[in-house]
Amino acid sequence: MFRNAPVLSDRAVGILFILPFVGTAVLFMIYPIAEAIRLSFFSYNPLRPDSSAFVGLDNFRRIFADPLFWESFSQATIWTLTSIALQTLLGMSIALLLNQALRGISIFRGLLLFPYIVPTVVIALIWRWIFNPEIGVINHALLSVGIISEPIYWLSTPSMAMASTIMLNVWKYTPFVVITVLARLQSVPLELYDAAKVDGAGPLRRFMDVTLPQLKEVLIVIIVFRTIWTFNKFEEIYLLTKGGPGTSTFNLAVYSYEQSIASLKLGVGAATGVVMMVILLVGSIVYLRVSGFGKEEKSS
Amino acid sequence: MRRYDYGQMLRTGFSYLVLSTVTFVMCFPLIWALSTSLKPKDEIFATPPTLIPHTVTLENYEALVTGRPQYFQSGGQSVDTGATPAQFFTRWFANSVIVAFGATLISIVVSTLAAYSLTRFSYWGRNIVPYFSLLGYMVPSIIFVFPLFLILVRLELTDTLWSLILGYVCITLPFCMWLMWAFMRSIPIEIEEAALIDGASRLQVFRQVVLPTAMPGIIAAAIFSMIVSWNDYLFGRVFMNSLDNLTLTVGVMLFFEGTHVDWGLLMAASVLMTVPMAVLFMALQRHLVAGFGAGAVKG
Repeated sequence: MFRNAPVLSDRAVGILFILPFVGTAVLFMIYPIAEAIRLSFFSYNPLRPDSSAFVGLDNFRRIFADPLFWESFSQATIWTLTSIALQTLLGMSIALLLNQALRGISIFRGLLLFPYIVPTVVIALIWRWIFNPEIGVINHALLSVGIISEPIYWLSTPSMAMASTIMLNVWKYTPFVVITVLARLQSVPLELYDAAKVDGAGPLRRFMDVTLPQLKEVLIVIIVFRTIWTFNKFEEIYLLTKGGPGTSTFNLAVYSYEQSIASLKLGVGAATGVVMMVILLVGSIVYLRVSGFGKEEKSS
Repeated sequence: MRRYDYGQMLRTGFSYLVLSTVTFVMCFPLIWALSTSLKPKDEIFATPPTLIPHTVTLENYEALVTGRPQYFQSGGQSVDTGATPAQFFTRWFANSVIVAFGATLISIVVSTLAAYSLTRFSYWGRNIVPYFSLLGYMVPSIIFVFPLFLILVRLELTDTLWSLILGYVCITLPFCMWLMWAFMRSIPIEIEEAALIDGASRLQVFRQVVLPTAMPGIIAAAIFSMIVSWNDYLFGRVFMNSLDNLTLTVGVMLFFEGTHVDWGLLMAASVLMTVPMAVLFMALQRHLVAGFGAGAVKG
């Protein structure tokens, strides 16, 4: 080593280290998004790339005039709100259950987080198997106990298909809520509970007055995050129902996909993507506000 | 004499009962898949269905693992010999491993270097990058996929494993960046400064002091990145064409294109697709929780 040889200055090292990120981000994040925005103003058919033409706001006019776009939008909203409500409630209850000092609790903890890592394709396959109307185990169980008298066509009747996709989403992402809430629960100072006990508060009061206020912040963050992601989900719906039967489980992501792949209108698909990004931006601003991101920066 | 607190025992018993029920319900789909995959063909459709197979057989797994791609190269052209999807399983499995590792490696290296730079040196724009990557990590894949496809067409990379590696980097890099930034910020600078005063170079400090301390964060980011790339369906579906190049998730959906669905085979495939992530998850569960704590997860 030449200890006194001119080595890279700190500033140079800093810039050298950030360069790969800047390069990758420009190439694979900024450029595709810019390309998506550009595409949304063009009529573009991938089979005839030479005849692409600038069409101004036509793509946007087209989607806003399309009843299927609005149907997808409202279905996505129902899908999102129901999924989030169920996930939050279930996730919080399970987290409270797991936050007990019981022997072997870590085994339960591990098992309950499992669905989060299972590929969506696998879940869709298994769902199609257990919810199969003729040979599926769910219908069989419900029939033999006598809860239903005829097999339910889970994936081929519109309302049931919507319910099934919601179930899949809730099943897969409840662990996400569990793990995040659990992490927060474990940092709640125990003295608060002792103080509440001394004051004569029962379990319910302790939950309402101690636990819930402590969880408030993390719950808001979870809800905002999960709402954004759930609203834009593609695979969970597409793999289970392909948006069907008919168009009864379409959301905006499936709509965009169908416009791009089935109708080969990449411009219309991209315009839908741009609308989704606008919704996302609004959501992100809400997120940054509630998480107090900017404030944290100054204090450190 | 010891007094038993019966109320407490009852409550504990009740907790276990509720926990076991909830766990069984949450794990039921996976238990059922495993059970089906181990049954011989005729037991799969037996009524009443059996939770624990009467006869345990590995024939479904054997069909998947021993099936070899039944195509051959002839004068530079791949000739189809009527192979079934099951015969490509091992090939697809290998493809999935390659792209998941590739994307994870790139994301981790790039984001670790960048996070170190952002938290240790001051220059213009260093406060914008985290905001930017946070936004990037909320963008849904459906927005990236078609513009990226057109770019890959121009680069003549479609239908290669590279297209998927680069595609997954779009998704995994922003949240690896976010996680590594949060993690690096929490590492005290004092140790590094001491080493620098002792005459170590920046690069030595980075290699010998920073990297070992940042390892839990790196592991958490790597697991999340692996899960995301291993589980993807959309990019694989749009970017890939030939049967040889598919990943597991896309390939396995082809089983539905035949005239009848072989559920035993499909459930065996499902189990095998889950195993690598399950092993990772069990081995590194603690770090996964650290990742959730840093707020950088994707789902």
